[in-house]
Amino acid sequence: MPTASISLRDVGRTFGATRALAGVGLDLKPGVTGLLGPNGAGKTTLLRLLATALPPSQGQVSVLGLDPQVPAERTGIRRQLGYQPQEVGFPRGFTAFAFVDYIALLKEWTEPAARHAEVRRVLGLVGLSHLGAKRIRAMSGGQRRRVALAQALLGSPPVLILDEPTTGVDPEQRVVLRTVLAEIARTSIVVLSTHQTEDVAALCERVIVLDRGRVRYDGPVTDLTGQAAGRVWLADEPDPAAKVSWRTGTGRYRNIGTSVRDDVEHVEPSLEDAYLLLRGGSPKREAADEVAS
Amino acid sequence: MTATLAFGRPVLVPLAAREARRLVLNPVFLFAVVTAWTTWTGGGSATPEIDNVNGYPAVFLGGFGMMATYWLTRSMRASEPVAGVTPTTRPTRTAALCWVAIVPFFCGVLTLFGFLHPYPVGDAVYGPFSPSARLAVLVGQIVIPSLGGPLLGVALGRWVRFPGAAFVLFLVIFGWVELVTILTLSHQDSAPVAVLRLFSPFAFFTVQADSGAVTAWRGSPWFFIGWQLALCTIAVLVALLRGAEGRVRSRIIRALAIAGVGAVILLVLAGTGGFTYAVTA
Repeated sequence: MPTASISLRDVGRTFGATRALAGVGLDLKPGVTGLLGPNGAGKTTLLRLLATALPPSQGQVSVLGLDPQVPAERTGIRRQLGYQPQEVGFPRGFTAFAFVDYIALLKEWTEPAARHAEVRRVLGLVGLSHLGAKRIRAMSGGQRRRVALAQALLGSPPVLILDEPTTGVDPEQRVVLRTVLAEIARTSIVVLSTHQTEDVAALCERVIVLDRGRVRYDGPVTDLTGQAAGRVWLADEPDPAAKVSWRTGTGRYRNIGTSVRDDVEHVEPSLEDAYLLLRGGSPKREAADEVAS
Repeated sequence: MTATLAFGRPVLVPLAAREARRLVLNPVFLFAVVTAWTTWTGGGSATPEIDNVNGYPAVFLGGFGMMATYWLTRSMRASEPVAGVTPTTRPTRTAALCWVAIVPFFCGVLTLFGFLHPYPVGDAVYGPFSPSARLAVLVGQIVIPSLGGPLLGVALGRWVRFPGAAFVLFLVIFGWVELVTILTLSHQDSAPVAVLRLFSPFAFFTVQADSGAVTAWRGSPWFFIGWQLALCTIAVLVALLRGAEGRVRSRIIRALAIAGVGAVILLVLAGTGGFTYAVTA
């Protein structure tokens, strides 16, 4: 049996004069791939392209060997796709069970008994078994995110596209969701966009960093983290040589610099350190970008 | 994680059933049904001509039915990022919503039978129309608007974003019917005015003269039903057009052109057929 895959060749997407993605080339295989990048980097656009919600302006996208530009093939992709968008609106009056059941019907689960069993299963996976009868509008933000994730998990799809699935979810549930996703990723392609670098570090074998619509890094998480080795250190004061530094809870400053230092107290770099280093230590730049956009 | 998908089973029927259940539980639709049934019960003997009462089912089942299906169509809009990437295409979802119009349609049929009980077709309140034409008038005024209004609501919901669009359209149609009815009172024998009066999803066919006799206006109630059904077809096609792609889209556009031509022909026939001048019985 051929391995499931997604490939993008020189993919670009523009919205009017705004270029959201440019020259993106990727091959994705089963496993969890994390997508990192600042706001406006093109993460959501990339995920919408993969989820067939948006056509590319240029380049070729192939999902499981099917072309999303061809309507019949697009339907074929959608039969094997789970997608959790960044923002999901819920119809008034729907309970969690009713909403997921409705989406299950749209996903061609027409046999009521099998559908209901599947809805109960996915609600159980996201820890909402006991809240199935609760109206979604009365749920917390984190619970709503889990309802949105539950519908994406219907049928354990071979392709699972998740846009910030853990935003607003409490730490215990995040650990549960990591376990669920890791299990699914044994056979499925899971692409996960998030601002939570700890989720990527805990879950993903591979990370892609997007910046201004282009791929800045694509490789193993450990390699990216390794790039920060020797470049993260603690000091009592902010180090002028550091690209980024901030006061930690211990009262000491965590410094990240571009050059390897020998005369300082090194600490184990995290993925977040490596990400900031890759972006040029740019919290200020990111803030400036957001103001500009 | 051993779930398997039941691919390929037709989604349309179970989806239409699901949407129909949502419509039946919709407060606006429930209000419409209850009000349509309560407005014509009782007082049959006090009605001088049939048009005094048979507009109510059209207003409630058709007009309020339109608002209910408009809400139904719009209600899933917020979930479009999720629903839009399922294998069930938007035209299929639209078709399921269109099938929901069967519910108000049957309410209209039941209302017609209920109507015929206090106002049998031989009754003087129908004026000089033949018994079959009287039935055609009732079908065109009670049953078809109950189908067409909800279909129009689906089409509107697919294309218009403004939340109050269905209510505004309801007011526009209501105002237009009133306007052309007033115009007809002063130009009862005019063919263009008759066409203008019938250029609407609902039209009156009779008026009570000062003497107490009932006057039937010119126009064919049978062709008027044809015109109304053509409008229903156009509403369905316009609704289905949203999100249609490729060959399906071109077929819908072709069908729309045919339905449009058919509608114009039926409207002209409705205005020029039947009585060619106002007849008082």
